[in-house]
Amino acid sequence: MKNLIRTLLFYFAFLTSVEAQIFSDFLIPKELKENANACIRLQETEINISSRRSMTIKSKRVVTVFNEYGLRHMDAYQNYDKSLKIVSIEAKIVNAQGFEIKKFKKKDFSDQSVADGISIYTDSRILYLNYTPISYPFTIVFECEIQTSNTAFLPSWSPIENYFLSTENSKITVTYPQDLGFKYKEENFDGFSIVKTDDPGKLSFEAENLQAIKQEEYAPSLRKFTPLVLFGLNKFHYEGVDGEAETWNAFGLWLYNNLLNGTDELAEETKATIKAHVGNETDPLKITKKVFEYVQNKTRYVSIQMGIGGWKPMLAKDVDKLGYGDCKALSNYTRALLNVVGVEAYYTIIYGDPYQRDINPDFVSMQGNHAVLCIPYQNELRWMECTNQLIPFDFQANFTDDRKALIIKSNGGEIIDTKVYSEKSNSQETFGNYSLNAEGKLIGSVSIKSKGTQYDRKYELERSSKDELDKHYKNYFSTINNLQWKNPVFKNDKQAIEFTEKVDLEAENYASKSGQRLMFALNAFNQYSAVPKRYRTRNSPFEIARGFHDFDDIAIDLPENYSVESIPEPVEFQEKFGHYKTEIQLNDKKMVYKRSLTINKGFYAKSEYEEYRKFIEKIAKNDNAKLVLIQN
Amino acid sequence: MILFKQTVKLLILIVFTISCHAQTFELGKVTSAELSEKEHMLDKEAPAAVLFSIGKTRIEYSNSKGFELVTEVESKIKIYKKEGYEWANFKIPFYVGGSDRESVEINKAITYNLVDGKIEKTKLKSDGEFLEETNKFWNTKKVTMPMVKEGSIIEYKYAIRSPYLSNFPDWDFQKTIPVNYSKFTSSIPEYYVYNSRIKGYLNPKKTSTTKNTNYNYTVKERDNVSLRTGGSGMTSNSNRTITYLEEVTIFELENIPAMKEEDFVSNIKNYMTSVSYELAYNRFPNEPVKTFSVSWEDVTRTIYDSENFGGELKKTGYFENDLNSILSSLNTKEEKISAVFAYVRGKVKWDGYHGIYCDEGVKNAYKNNVGNVAEMNLMLTAMLRHAGLNANPVLVSTRSNGIPLFPSRTSFNYVICAIEEADGAILLDATDMNSSFNILPIRALNWEGRLIRKDGTSSSISLYPGMLSKENSLALLTIDKEGNLNGKMRTQLYDYNAYRFRDNYSKLDNEVYLESLEKKLSNIAIADYKVTNNKDLSKPILEEFSFASSDLIEIIGDKMYFSPLFFHTLNENPFKLDKRDFPVDFVYPYEKKYAFTIDIPEGYAVESLPKNAAFALDNNMVVYRYNLQAVGNKIQVSAIFSVNQSIIIPDYYPDLKDMFKQVVESQKEKVILKKG
Repeated sequence: MKNLIRTLLFYFAFLTSVEAQIFSDFLIPKELKENANACIRLQETEINISSRRSMTIKSKRVVTVFNEYGLRHMDAYQNYDKSLKIVSIEAKIVNAQGFEIKKFKKKDFSDQSVADGISIYTDSRILYLNYTPISYPFTIVFECEIQTSNTAFLPSWSPIENYFLSTENSKITVTYPQDLGFKYKEENFDGFSIVKTDDPGKLSFEAENLQAIKQEEYAPSLRKFTPLVLFGLNKFHYEGVDGEAETWNAFGLWLYNNLLNGTDELAEETKATIKAHVGNETDPLKITKKVFEYVQNKTRYVSIQMGIGGWKPMLAKDVDKLGYGDCKALSNYTRALLNVVGVEAYYTIIYGDPYQRDINPDFVSMQGNHAVLCIPYQNELRWMECTNQLIPFDFQANFTDDRKALIIKSNGGEIIDTKVYSEKSNSQETFGNYSLNAEGKLIGSVSIKSKGTQYDRKYELERSSKDELDKHYKNYFSTINNLQWKNPVFKNDKQAIEFTEKVDLEAENYASKSGQRLMFALNAFNQYSAVPKRYRTRNSPFEIARGFHDFDDIAIDLPENYSVESIPEPVEFQEKFGHYKTEIQLNDKKMVYKRSLTINKGFYAKSEYEEYRKFIEKIAKNDNAKLVLIQN
Repeated sequence: MILFKQTVKLLILIVFTISCHAQTFELGKVTSAELSEKEHMLDKEAPAAVLFSIGKTRIEYSNSKGFELVTEVESKIKIYKKEGYEWANFKIPFYVGGSDRESVEINKAITYNLVDGKIEKTKLKSDGEFLEETNKFWNTKKVTMPMVKEGSIIEYKYAIRSPYLSNFPDWDFQKTIPVNYSKFTSSIPEYYVYNSRIKGYLNPKKTSTTKNTNYNYTVKERDNVSLRTGGSGMTSNSNRTITYLEEVTIFELENIPAMKEEDFVSNIKNYMTSVSYELAYNRFPNEPVKTFSVSWEDVTRTIYDSENFGGELKKTGYFENDLNSILSSLNTKEEKISAVFAYVRGKVKWDGYHGIYCDEGVKNAYKNNVGNVAEMNLMLTAMLRHAGLNANPVLVSTRSNGIPLFPSRTSFNYVICAIEEADGAILLDATDMNSSFNILPIRALNWEGRLIRKDGTSSSISLYPGMLSKENSLALLTIDKEGNLNGKMRTQLYDYNAYRFRDNYSKLDNEVYLESLEKKLSNIAIADYKVTNNKDLSKPILEEFSFASSDLIEIIGDKMYFSPLFFHTLNENPFKLDKRDFPVDFVYPYEKKYAFTIDIPEGYAVESLPKNAAFALDNNMVVYRYNLQAVGNKIQVSAIFSVNQSIIIPDYYPDLKDMFKQVVESQKEKVILKKG
């Protein structure tokens, strides 16, 4: 009898821990541990859309964390707000041997406001698990169920969530009523085995055993080369309003009517002020520039996430009264002002990101994370980044350039392309001269004109403090030791969008002395030294997101009592990645060094990486080519 | 003589005029002159400036709430540039986690602008004020001032009421923008005594006065009403007046420059001018004096007497059985220390929290395998004592908490353990897997700690590492005719260098580590990589690898040029500022030693070698020696660089910077080989 009880007890003990046993560390295939800080053992998401106004999402996430860096993949949290309720949330921790060691109920989760440091206020909150691991590896089993009346956003599915993270099993199932126009879009499935089950009213995707991807230099964002599925409804509900997303036109119309319409009212006094500010100007482009300048001087950017889930702009008259707003509020306010003076401007939804990221044109749905404004002028769109008080009119480089965006007009939406900055338009021209004395000291001056993306990196210099400039120049001219700079002169031409700086430079021991010789790199002012990292095996494709063009023309005076012992050869080479050329002339004690470098924009296969690295290495080597002088 | 008189008059006039124009430090007195000011008089680059900031903290009594701290702040800020807009947003966190809550009230918040020559006022309305429930302990009042433009002046006043009398707010005179005038006043009744302390490199003017103050109150007759606990009695009402002494202290400072960040500084807050108040004791009529803190002795005594510190330290029952079985087979002190240290680290993991008090208690930490720093290191101390060692806790202020300049209960935020031996102390910290005997995590390397003995007495103990952390690199290198460099490196890392290596290496995958190492070492290609002793903390790290590189040697004409320390050459002076105000902090003393042997290719001869060099900073604080020698087809290179003192005061900065410049030049100098 005793034995029987003992057996039964053992059996029950086994039963309760059987699930935990499955998640012991031993059972992870070896290849899923390579380059992985954590492994997603299971990600199971069940989206159940019961009607246009009701959706529940049940998820179960099991992650084995191998080290400290893997902790962030636990993702044991859930955001909520007044229209999204957490029905249940719980977690447990399983140790490496598969024994459950800790359990967390809803009350054990920390409750906090989602303040990000930039937002002054947000009404979104978060429940998250604050767990200190006792040892690695460990496994967390996290389960959560939410209920919401918003069906405008459905979660997307990306079985490879991040770098250094492997996936054993990831599955998503969407159950939907067939009359809501359910749709989905698959991306980057090539080369991955994904099981898709498509039944009426029910769709699921599943992927297994996906190895971790190492993050490598110049790697594009994961969403450009790993599987991704977007889901959406043509008939959705959002914060008390039903919406349609059959076509971009219809969806844009809905956005216009529900988010923008009625927000652009302004006080008579404000209308009079802006009309007076514009004066007799009749050209819409000039009017727009004046209004944009007015907004830049009047307002400041403050992130506020309130109201209709962060999508509806603050009223224009409130922005007018308070003098601040977020991207939506400021864009919409500018739109309202322009409307008063007879210019129709388009509120635009976009991804604001240094990585070019499109609003997916083939998938009509709520996308984007930023708002800007544009006007049509002579068959071109002209842009306004209303959150920046210093940026020139019609300048998008590095943040909203070269991507698809959604413009919202009063008669509907439309997907358009934003400005593309070509290699030649991202230019930097350097003209300068320097002389060397017998001790190797450099005295010279340089003038640099920057445009396009290069303008973006420079134009704030004119407002920098002396300390900031000091940091900038010592970093920019990092190949010149003991740098002293003075008399900086800046010219920021906001109309032509060109930034010109002139600065005088001095540096002791620029040329290094070795016995009777002085050696120095001819290219003192613009060396390209960022050689990409070498990889034993390159795994991801690589991307040069934006190209650029540099031109340098430098006159050099050589010291007395020295003669040239050795002089670098001029070179020229052209590859698919770009072009490099130097010209070197010597005339008695005077030299002229000319250099031209173009790096092309491009998306390349991983096999081409080493070739690119060598290309840059060759440039760096030639940029550092030394002149050798010997004492007479 | 007439001239003299006139001069005097003029002087008087000037003085008079100046004082006339001196600003009145009141809200609501904004002038067009102030609004049209384009830049700060003394700091033309300042994006904004505090025109004045006036704080007053007093202790107020009310029947319903007893004593409360009331802090009122009035500020007037000028915005010069768009970069200064952030000063028009501010937030005030306040504590709501206890049974008594703090509260914040904002009023008189106004933005002033000059519009067409007229002063325009825009008041802050409720739509610019937000209350955020940050978490269950803290709420935050966030304010966004309206209509802020370049040239605006903003003013606001706020009051914080706090029932926590030990939570006396600090007053920061200095900000990251210039402050024209800053004043702080405290008014404290005789029942409370606070110590006020000034830190930073500026010296505010202090004046103190004492005055009689009356407090009128109503009591319901029956029992003695204690002022401290508030009303409690019953029955009939009667009006009474208490007269007590109030001490009023004023601190003032004018024209305070903006605080600027510098590299190699442990914590900029150490140098920012501020005044803080610490509750020392209270003395109520007919009650014994209750001491909180006065001297370091008192501070440590108070902490030690606390249940959450001393009380937890005394507990032993929870581990005795487990520990006895471990200790039973061990004989020497060293074995016992190592075993106990390893046991605590294996048993309990750090939850990442600092603090001098236990949170859940040592027993729970032991049971749940997770604890804060106090739980872990008090447990370690208790276990070591149980093993017969002279172990004591040491109170520490982490680098982020700043240097503990004055005795106060908030001076310390961290606890470690010290074993006192005849030949010095062994410091231990169980929170870090890679720390070892006298190797503390960097966060704890901050000036001095306070060691508390069993009898409650205490003394200060230096936390700075006494030893020189060494790095010795040996290399055998070969240059071929094509200018390729091949070699074998063997590097030994000791003490803190080993700690830092382990800390970094243990977090990375081997391949990822190697790739970043290659990048750091001028893109060489590494093979046969091997690390020894990365798990054995008692031994130095030994790192060995072979490598190849095709771009460390320049061939120009018939000559080869190279810097003989190759990828260990210091190419850039890390000190870029022309002058600095704060000490340079190297964290710990160290020494780097390189001994390279370079084989030159056949058919080449040494044409010239870099100069030998030897220089040192005053008192050998920093020392550099560099020697080269060519013997046959070999070049021997030896370089030593040591920082013998980890903190170097600004007086030596120009010399330090110059020394680094010379080191850079020396190391960059080339060896020249000539064909033929």
